[in-house]
Amino acid sequence: MDPISYFQAAVLGLLQGVSELFPVSSLGHSVVLPRLLGWDIHQNDDYFLTFLVATHLATALVLLGFFWRDWLRIVRGLGRSLRDREIARDDTDARLGWLLVVATIPAGLVGLILEHQLRKIFASPQSAAAFLALNGVMLYGAERLRRNAPVVDRAGPQGDERIAGRLSFRDALGVGTAQAVALIPGFSRSGAAMSGGLLVGLSNEDAARFSFLLATPIIGAAAVLKLPDLLGSQGDHVRGQALVGGALRGRDRVSRRAVPAALLRDQPPHAVRRLLLRRGDRADDRLRRHLKGPRS
Amino acid sequence: MTKRRELIIPAVILGILLLALAILYWVDTAGSLPSFIPGHEAGSSHHHVKHGIAAAILALGAFVFAWFQTEPKRQ
Repeated sequence: MDPISYFQAAVLGLLQGVSELFPVSSLGHSVVLPRLLGWDIHQNDDYFLTFLVATHLATALVLLGFFWRDWLRIVRGLGRSLRDREIARDDTDARLGWLLVVATIPAGLVGLILEHQLRKIFASPQSAAAFLALNGVMLYGAERLRRNAPVVDRAGPQGDERIAGRLSFRDALGVGTAQAVALIPGFSRSGAAMSGGLLVGLSNEDAARFSFLLATPIIGAAAVLKLPDLLGSQGDHVRGQALVGGALRGRDRVSRRAVPAALLRDQPPHAVRRLLLRRGDRADDRLRRHLKGPRS
Repeated sequence: MTKRRELIIPAVILGILLLALAILYWVDTAGSLPSFIPGHEAGSSHHHVKHGIAAAILALGAFVFAWFQTEPKRQ
């Protein structure tokens, strides 16, 4: 018998697709929902993690597709700075690229070294539920921070230029450390990274954009690292289900379009409310342009 | 960015040490690792592949840092 059915895979894929870019922890919900529905799924087993990470690959691909122009600019900037052996002050793309590299390091290292221990300790529905509640407290704190966050000066530097000018490498490390908290199921990656961004003085919009850009490398790397498991013996009996879950997750248009725009417009609690009122679906061009950054 | 040329050699040495550590993690089992290295588990035949990747990433970081410090001085 398969450890996870195609129906369960489809439900989990849809759940993750909807919850991934909300700051509500898709991983936490994926751990809690099976228990709530009485499914006989063992969340501590390797196959479940392999299934979840395989579905994350869909998220990474969607994010890469959404931000591909930005990544092209950023990668070119990184190449330029390596060639010139310096990060030029006026090279926004290079600086933003290295800020993203630095901010990815904490979650990358903690994930690589402590993934097994974290899973053993925290991958139970009870602890995920408790951390989901704590995630709410974190979001409340972020909402309080948002009220004090600097307002974007429309006459000043725009988009990425503003982020690159405002963030130091130490700040980026701080945002990355906040993001690492999300390795505990129940804490939201985007919520933690946005809160970190607000803490180091980014505006609401810039914290959200930096958080979304940060998502691609860490989610993509985790998915790529787990791919051998999916293709090996651990993936037996879950490969098809992972494909179904990933496809449904990737197809979800709400998380691909409306959520990022809504999160930019407001902070998490308001963004969720707006989306529930179906207003976030009408992301206007101005916000989308800002989210996607300047085109070169 | 301020260049600190005196850090080039320490950064390269650190990078080489971390790279050696990464290879050690990939080649040796957890049981064969020296006891002072994180991940040592007596009698274990498990390979800490991910620890090795983490060490290799840190080594790369050290080399990149050293590379940026080598920028020639401008007139």
